[in-house]
Amino acid sequence: MDFNVRNFAVFDIGGFEVWLTETVVNTWIIMALLIVAAIIVRVRLSGFGDVPKGLQNVVEFMVETFSGFVKNTAGEKLQYLGGWFFSAFAFIFIASISGVFALRPPTADWATTFAFALATFILIQILGLRYQRLGYLKGFLAPDFKLNLPNVLASLLFTPLNIIGELARPVSLSFRLFGNILAGMILMNMLYALTPVYVQLFVPVPLHAYFDIAMAFLQTYIFIVLSLSFVGTASEVSAE
Amino acid sequence: MLEHLAQVLAAGQIAAGIAVLSGLFCAIGQGNVAAKAIESIARQPEAKGTITQSMFIGLAMSETVGIYGLLIAIILLFANPLVAIFLQYMG
Repeated sequence: MDFNVRNFAVFDIGGFEVWLTETVVNTWIIMALLIVAAIIVRVRLSGFGDVPKGLQNVVEFMVETFSGFVKNTAGEKLQYLGGWFFSAFAFIFIASISGVFALRPPTADWATTFAFALATFILIQILGLRYQRLGYLKGFLAPDFKLNLPNVLASLLFTPLNIIGELARPVSLSFRLFGNILAGMILMNMLYALTPVYVQLFVPVPLHAYFDIAMAFLQTYIFIVLSLSFVGTASEVSAE
Repeated sequence: MLEHLAQVLAAGQIAAGIAVLSGLFCAIGQGNVAAKAIESIARQPEAKGTITQSMFIGLAMSETVGIYGLLIAIILLFANPLVAIFLQYMG
């Protein structure tokens, strides 16, 4: 049983060590799959008619469901973010269920999940500054900040706490996804390592369905919902 | 030396067991979230969609505690930093 990320090669590019790990290779495989799917849809797009059938039905269903979902969670003015969140959803979901196809899930590596959480974090800061302007920075001070002595003193206490709370967001967001997928992967690997061969024929099927597919969908959903609601809260202009 | 290494490893295993106990409180919290959500759905069946979504967010938030404990346990079991320090110290 080895749960570590295997390392295939180390390149030396301009003094930096660049590691070609299993995560990177699996990410490339999943990216290739998604890009091929996107190209197929793009090529067939011109042939789409008014009455949907076949592939068009599937694509329209996915896009409509997701854009309604973004509208409900983050608000109507943030609908242009639907594209990014749909791609993130597709990638994280396919990456998390790739344990079924005997790949090591890229989301069972903290680097992948932290990259997505960091993207959400940057998005929160940019959208907060864009929609609330200075009101966003004011949110880091004491609640209902007014320029007088007790409020300034209270802010000395509140501001570090608020900044730590803000920095904890990407950490908790990424650890949640990483921990769930890693735990599922370790449990499945342990099952295969500890049981005899004849048990491995049909017993792992419901376990794969739960740990790899159900958990992957739930965690992806939660990751995207939390990101959307963080972004939605940051872009809300408080009524004053 | 082998005896001392065994002691370090055993301490790591026990610590992993204790770390996973955080799941206890996490489970109590998640149970509370689900119970309250079902209560409010029974009171207001028309708000089911919103309540379910908020429930999932609440569940995810309280699950983080359990996940932190689990990650500490996994680190102690499979990538124990204390073993490396011990081996370095013993030479």
